[in-house]
Amino acid sequence: MSSAPLPPLPDSRPTSVPVDEAQLLCRKWFEAHGTGVYNYFRFHVPLVDVAEDLTAETFLKVVRAAGRFDPNRGSAKAWILTTARNVLTDWRRRARLRQYVSIGTMHDLVHDAPSPEERLLREEEVGRLLDAVATLEPADREMIGLRYGSGLDTAEMAQLLGISEGNVRTRLWRVLGRLRKVLAR
Amino acid sequence: MSEPASGPPELADLHRALRRVRFEPRPSLGPEIEGRVRRGERVEDRARRLRFLRAAWGLTASAIVAVVAGATWLSHRPVEIDRCCFDLDGGGAADDGVTLLAERDAKVHHLRLYEDHDHSGRYSPGDLIRLDRGDQPSIREDASRGLVITEHCCLDFDGGGPRDDVLLVMGVPPDRVVMAAIYERRSDRHRRQPADAFPLR
Repeated sequence: MSSAPLPPLPDSRPTSVPVDEAQLLCRKWFEAHGTGVYNYFRFHVPLVDVAEDLTAETFLKVVRAAGRFDPNRGSAKAWILTTARNVLTDWRRRARLRQYVSIGTMHDLVHDAPSPEERLLREEEVGRLLDAVATLEPADREMIGLRYGSGLDTAEMAQLLGISEGNVRTRLWRVLGRLRKVLAR
Repeated sequence: MSEPASGPPELADLHRALRRVRFEPRPSLGPEIEGRVRRGERVEDRARRLRFLRAAWGLTASAIVAVVAGATWLSHRPVEIDRCCFDLDGGGAADDGVTLLAERDAKVHHLRLYEDHDHSGRYSPGDLIRLDRGDQPSIREDASRGLVITEHCCLDFDGGGPRDDVLLVMGVPPDRVVMAAIYERRSDRHRRQPADAFPLR
């Protein structure tokens, strides 16, 4: 999952872009980062519909604010994921009292299981894993979501979180250690 | 995403398991978002519209509850009725009146027949009370021979709105009243039925 190069946008450009241009930009960004953003949300929310809504909200926001994007300050991927994190934070605030059940909500899971039984086992395995992730602290979940959901590498995570790469690696291993303990219970 | 070089070996399996978890958004999601961009839809617009709709629903629901509660309260609130002047006691002169404290089209709490002595056209403290009863239409014990029953139709005696009430008076003319009650006439089909076909109130 690599970040797509974007045409440089001068500082004097208005915040919003023309509709045609915005549509093209949306297509381009979604093709390059849509799956990553969607997976980031799927690691955080158990419902497909919610993940889709949040993904759509993220892209509507970034396309609308495309004029503010400066490629010299970071990649489009990092910028879009920063927006996605804010969208998720807003959603969490709004959805504080909601409760979700994750059973039977993995029809979007990518798998190579040859039979329905194996697919079910795979869904159970992933469900158990994500349920364990859901029990972690929000900061830990964020590390997992960025790393394994959106597929950022250590350098991209460091840029996004504003910490060093070494720090990212250390924190990530600690989070995996905690997750392992949860799964062992 | 490469394998971390310096990670503890016991976490490698977990790392690989997490890496294998991939979800695929439905193919129509991208074009759908693109369409929303083309229409110039904004997230804020949607959120604002949702907030507006929620507020509108809340206000509508509150208004409906208030109207229903108000209507219920109004319909059950006793009203005072004063009707004058008729010949209710058989005396010949149309100088009698009736006051009622009643719930609309329902219970009668108080009924009083009076003679409008001062010709004020309504009950006043100087008027002569022929009958004063509570919420039950009972006959006074001193009823005797010569009892005359009269029905006075049709007026709005209970504040229900339409003039569909009948005042039933039992008395000994010219000045004794032993019982008075009202009943609802309801419809023309029931008009020919005797008064006791309807509950006296």
